[in-house]
Amino acid sequence: MKTIFHLIKKDYKLFWLDKPAVSLTFLVPVVLIYIFGSIFGRPDTAPTGIRIGFVNNSNNKIAKKLESVLDTTKTFKLVKNYTDDKGNVIKFDTNSIKDYVIKGNISAALVLPEDAFTDTSTSFKIKFYYDPKNQMEMQIIEGLLQQTVMMQMPGIFMASMQHKAKEYLGEQKGIMFNKKIASLVSQYYGVDTSKILNWTNFNFDEDTSDADTSKKTANVFKDILQLDKEQLVGKEVNNPNATRSVGGWAMMFLLFALTGASTSLFDENKSGVILRILSSPVSRTDILWSKYLYNISLGVIQLLVLFFMGYLLFNIDIFSNFFNLMLMIIAAASACTAFGMLIAAVSKTSAQANGLGTFIILVMSAIGGAWFPTFILPPFIQALSKGTLVYWSVEGFLDVLWRGANTIEILPYVGVLLGMSAVINIFSIIRFKKGNIF
Amino acid sequence: MISIKNVTKKFPSVTALNDVSLEIKDKEFFGLLGPNGAGKSTLMNLMIGYIGADAGDIYIDEEKISQHNLAVRKQIGFVPQSIALYDDATAFENLEIFGSLFGIRKNLLRAVIAENLNRVQLYERRKDKVKNFSGGMKRRLNIAASLLHNPKVLLCDEPTVGVDPQSRNAIFDYLVKLNEEGKTIIYTTHYMEEAERLCSRIAIIDSGKIISSGTLDELLQLLPYEQTILINKNKTTESKLELFKSFGKLLNEQEKYELKPFDHLKLSDFFKAMEEHGIDYNSIDLHKPTLEALFLHLTGRRLRD
Repeated sequence: MKTIFHLIKKDYKLFWLDKPAVSLTFLVPVVLIYIFGSIFGRPDTAPTGIRIGFVNNSNNKIAKKLESVLDTTKTFKLVKNYTDDKGNVIKFDTNSIKDYVIKGNISAALVLPEDAFTDTSTSFKIKFYYDPKNQMEMQIIEGLLQQTVMMQMPGIFMASMQHKAKEYLGEQKGIMFNKKIASLVSQYYGVDTSKILNWTNFNFDEDTSDADTSKKTANVFKDILQLDKEQLVGKEVNNPNATRSVGGWAMMFLLFALTGASTSLFDENKSGVILRILSSPVSRTDILWSKYLYNISLGVIQLLVLFFMGYLLFNIDIFSNFFNLMLMIIAAASACTAFGMLIAAVSKTSAQANGLGTFIILVMSAIGGAWFPTFILPPFIQALSKGTLVYWSVEGFLDVLWRGANTIEILPYVGVLLGMSAVINIFSIIRFKKGNIF
Repeated sequence: MISIKNVTKKFPSVTALNDVSLEIKDKEFFGLLGPNGAGKSTLMNLMIGYIGADAGDIYIDEEKISQHNLAVRKQIGFVPQSIALYDDATAFENLEIFGSLFGIRKNLLRAVIAENLNRVQLYERRKDKVKNFSGGMKRRLNIAASLLHNPKVLLCDEPTVGVDPQSRNAIFDYLVKLNEEGKTIIYTTHYMEEAERLCSRIAIIDSGKIISSGTLDELLQLLPYEQTILINKNKTTESKLELFKSFGKLLNEQEKYELKPFDHLKLSDFFKAMEEHGIDYNSIDLHKPTLEALFLHLTGRRLRD
């Protein structure tokens, strides 16, 4: 027994000395659990501040009320204006907000048309323009939007109906009619009669606090809301689901491949091969350049193969915007290579590099949008995600494949990725000069 | 051929080489003998331009060797201490990789590779992956990889570490042949037997300093005695250890006692005393001293301490 104890103790000691193993065992899962927990495990923290475009072309009282409700909700942040080239702040109209969605500045826009609700309307019209480049994001936006609107609509509409009844039947008959209607609604749908009648006073904010009742009433009036949806972007995309996900997964595996390729420097050094190479007419700079260019070319080939497989297996259209796809591939491969070289430069051993690399790749993939849309992350992680090369690569690929973005439109992505490469490379070179790889 | 002039190399925690100077002649088989950590590999790394010296210079045929002079490396072949090969590549592929770094044209390179593989008796195994080779085969290939560009000088940094005696002998024979064909060879080792067997001149290095250099005979003349006395271990000799110590420094080796006589000891006096104490002459043997003895004499330590 004592022997077994000593052997167990030995294994723990060796485990503790292997820092990459310790980090992969504890640190990586803890960070990933935190990220996933932030998304799925906290029902009180639903997405907030989702930017959607909003245009109200209606003068109707109900439309104005809806606008004010959406203005005050934490879920959405209404984007009503844009700034033109001259710096003037201009209010959106229907065409300009559609254009704004098409250009990818926002994922969705809500337009209340001039005839959103008129004296003769039997339903409330809302125009919903959207770009489902990110399906999960769009489903959540649509769901939250409908929920928010529907919470208000029954009250608004009931009030309108009761007003109409009084107008046509007179005060007394109108009240009687409303009571009858309220009684019937109450009987069939379990809504408190007094609450239905109370809507006459436009007191729906109070009513919506009773979630159960609101949901029931929402069911009643769901047909009253005429949500006219129009997909502005991606209608012609062959396989939307595969097109959306190919970039993110490709990026994660690219990072693993290129980090592995970079850390091969450690193995070559340990075996003495680097020493042998440096005894030939080869300089350290030659070795670094060769590694860098090899990794970029390997990354480009890997991405091309992955996208081509996407074309073969899922009919993802990679050829109609191939030039811009290539630009993105080169920029992404360059950034991933720089990342791999950085990991090699800051590590002291191959094991350390692999542990650190795995940790950062998984975290970057999680918060950068490779696995799920970043908008469902807590705001501070969303801010962090913009510092990852995964975010800029995934967004760029999506713009190229989904939107068919042109060269000018993908320049920000390409620019950020190449900029990241340059900064990381400079840092890596400094580290290599001070480091002990070779 | 090679001039090492007042070279000093310091690392953060140690001075690896301290004002080292050596002259190595053309076509010489030169040995650098010293214990582990003496500075042999550091000197090798300076000679291939892998690292730079803090002071002093190294020249090959009056051309300075430095980290930035890549052209001079074409004159040097380097056999690293470790087996610096790609395990997953074949013997041929390995040589192709390293040969191409010297700018040898493809057709010529193929011929050179075939020739070198033949010389180390690995041509038949050229298509086998290195990871399937024995230790001795890997060592031979390690040497072949350093000769593809036909260098004037071959630097061998302990090239037989971990090799069985048979393979070691094969490597020695090959290196001797290369030397006879005109290559200058610089060979580092901490095995005095290797230095004695192979090298026409030897420098003994310890703690970053050259403590002596010359031919084997010149070096051994530095000892205060010409013969080492070996005494068999038996009951009689074991009881006379104090007597032996009165004639010199006594070392307790595995099978025998080794007596390194004091200065000016007359062997006749020693044998007379042995006779007086009843020690059989057959228990005593005289041997030419080794470099091990010289190292001990010069440093007070053994080579393998």
